[in-house]
Amino acid sequence: MSAAASTAPVLQVEALRAYYKISSFGLDREVRAVDDVTFHVNANEIYGLAGESSCGKTTLIRTIAAAIKPPLRVVGGSVVFNFAGRPVDMQKADDETVAAVRWKHLSYIMQGSMSVLNPVRRVERAFVDFAFRHIGKRKPEFLDIVRAHLQRLDLNPDILAAYPHQLSGGMRQRVAIALATVCRPEFIIADEPTTALDVIVQNSVLAMIRDVQKEIGSSLIFVTHDLAVHANLCHRLGIMYAGRLVEEGPTAEIFKAPKHPYTTHLVASLPRIGNTAPKKGLEGTPPSLAAPPPGCRFHPRCPLAMDICRTQNPPMVEVLPGRRVACFAVTPPGRAA
Amino acid sequence: MAPLLEVADVQRTYALGSILSRHRLRAVDGVSFTMAADRPEIFTVVGESGSGKTTLARMILNMVAPTAGAIRFRGTDLRQIRSGKERLAFMRQVQPIFQNPFEAFNPLKKLDRYLFMTARNIAGLTAVGEIEDATDRALRNVGLSLAEIRGRYPHELSGGQLQRIAIARALISRPALIVADEPVSMVDASLRMSIVNLLRQLRDEMGVSIIYITHDLATAYYISDRIIIMRKGQVVESGEARAVLDNPQHPYSIRLKQAVLSPDAAGSAGRLLAESATAAET
Ligand SMILES: Nc1ncnc2c1ncn2[C@@H]1O[C@H](COP(=O)(O)OP(=O)(O)OP(=O)(O)O)[C@@H](O)[C@H]1O
Ligand SMILES: Nc1ncnc2c1ncn2[C@@H]1O[C@H](COP(=O)(O)OP(=O)(O)OP(=O)(O)O)[C@@H](O)[C@H]1O
Ligand code: SF4
Ligand SMILES: [Mg+2]
Ligand SMILES: [Mg+2]
Repeated sequence: MSAAASTAPVLQVEALRAYYKISSFGLDREVRAVDDVTFHVNANEIYGLAGESSCGKTTLIRTIAAAIKPPLRVVGGSVVFNFAGRPVDMQKADDETVAAVRWKHLSYIMQGSMSVLNPVRRVERAFVDFAFRHIGKRKPEFLDIVRAHLQRLDLNPDILAAYPHQLSGGMRQRVAIALATVCRPEFIIADEPTTALDVIVQNSVLAMIRDVQKEIGSSLIFVTHDLAVHANLCHRLGIMYAGRLVEEGPTAEIFKAPKHPYTTHLVASLPRIGNTAPKKGLEGTPPSLAAPPPGCRFHPRCPLAMDICRTQNPPMVEVLPGRRVACFAVTPPGRAA
Repeated sequence: MAPLLEVADVQRTYALGSILSRHRLRAVDGVSFTMAADRPEIFTVVGESGSGKTTLARMILNMVAPTAGAIRFRGTDLRQIRSGKERLAFMRQVQPIFQNPFEAFNPLKKLDRYLFMTARNIAGLTAVGEIEDATDRALRNVGLSLAEIRGRYPHELSGGQLQRIAIARALISRPALIVADEPVSMVDASLRMSIVNLLRQLRDEMGVSIIYITHDLATAYYISDRIIIMRKGQVVESGEARAVLDNPQHPYSIRLKQAVLSPDAAGSAGRLLAESATAAET
């Protein structure tokens, strides 16, 4: 990496492999949910991740957030965070350093986070447990900050007195987002944070996330299936398929001219109000990550598949500045540097 | 012939706040509609987060009792369903799909066991072969198979896989009405289309009626016959789905439609979000 520490990415993920190793009925099985993924996230950048259901997005960001529990294991590659010019390799650092990075700099909104709230404690308790020490103000001021923050999410501050089951799904999801953003973290990792919201509230929430991100120049990894959200929020986009990153580039370019056949399908499949033309899901079944197809993992479903696709894995190639694609139809074999 | 479902001026209130400052919240406030027995349809419910959609669904599923008003399924008031046998017969006909698949499954129970239990207890199957066949068939309807999930626990699957299993579970007893609370919010765009196409196929080929609760106006437009738009417990607009979504009349419906983000805005880097958020305040 160059000497210019100030422009070094805040997050560098290098050839990361994270597998679930399970044995059931005496059989060992390995689910290769993240397989050789390389990308980076800059300061002040919103990086979007999209991809088929079960392609490994949650596993990837779990690994990045160091929320790794058996049977998930990192079997190769590295995750390096660089806050204030001090790189920390999350796989090599001691537990204390990793814990410090997670506590001080990272904030992780988990998928299905609406169900992580403790059912027998009022919402206010969650904020006190989670954020009071971080914010370091006296209790009344702290609660004022929390109330103001809830209002930015279109939530009535009275819900602080409620128990989670008294809130709707979308209200609980917003509480989880509020918990994760009230401390203004430098790096936010959000996994499907707005799936349970109506579009008006969703836009307020996204605007709040963006404001917090801008105020302190944080970085954000945003996972969602909603490509319209990606289009409106993210600076760059990474597309995953079957455990691999298959395309990456500036958001506008990916939408305007998708290059990987999977991305092309994804962009074309978007339904729109006013349109009732029959739209089909992707043909064929999603690949098993325990026994992924050889060669290009997309080949059994790819309209452009060639012989070589069945045996060789297409490398990720930078086809334009800042634009990477892993596909033999885009970069014919032999031409990859 | 009695209608399939009659929702007659139902209301549900909850007590909120501490014992000292009790006030009542009208989660659902006077909602009425009827679904015909001889004309299967996809009836869509959209609206504000917290507007009472899930509460309405839970009342139709007989999990929560209305505070006022009545719900009748094939002419029977749900309050009259008392014995275990009546309850089972009702569940066989009216099946739920819930909002959050991470909550819908018991984390300690293997998924295949859970589906077999549904086949046995709700669909009333007894032979092992029958149970496995019915389960496998339902799973194949959603692009999975029994072989893929055998012996696996909920946490071993992704959000999208879990949601498909929840849909498969609802299909096992071949119900007449499915109440689907945001069934596609956790799946990718492509799978989302296959699932809504599946709902449509259930309506057209199996005669299943579907109450489809969603925040996704595009799929609502794509599959719904009728739609209601809810806000603060009340229906603010209703009608034929495409007419309503093409040309909404109520100010809230208009704002809702305007707030839908377009993928064509790629590269605006949040400009539209900012505008939409300020517009929402005014
Ligand atoms: N604890 C686990 N044990 C075994 N396999 C797992 C476990 N968690 C996830 N998997 C498998 O790993 C693969 C990737 O799952 P992951 O949750 O990362 O997908 P995803 O891209 O986030 O999907 P979705 O969009 O549906 O949330 C899936 O095949 C899933 O079944
Ligand atoms: N058990 C309960 N006790 C008290 N209040 C409740 C209870 N269940 C729901 N509510 C309240 O009723 C209102 C409607 O909630 P409901 O879950 O029906 O909304 P919803 O339309 O499904 O919202 P979302 O789109 O966010 O899922 C909310 O204000 C919620 O706080
Ligand atoms: S490498 Fe071959 S199979 Fe894979 S996406 Fe490209 S053309 Fe299709
Ligand atoms: Mg996920
Ligand atoms: Mg709900």
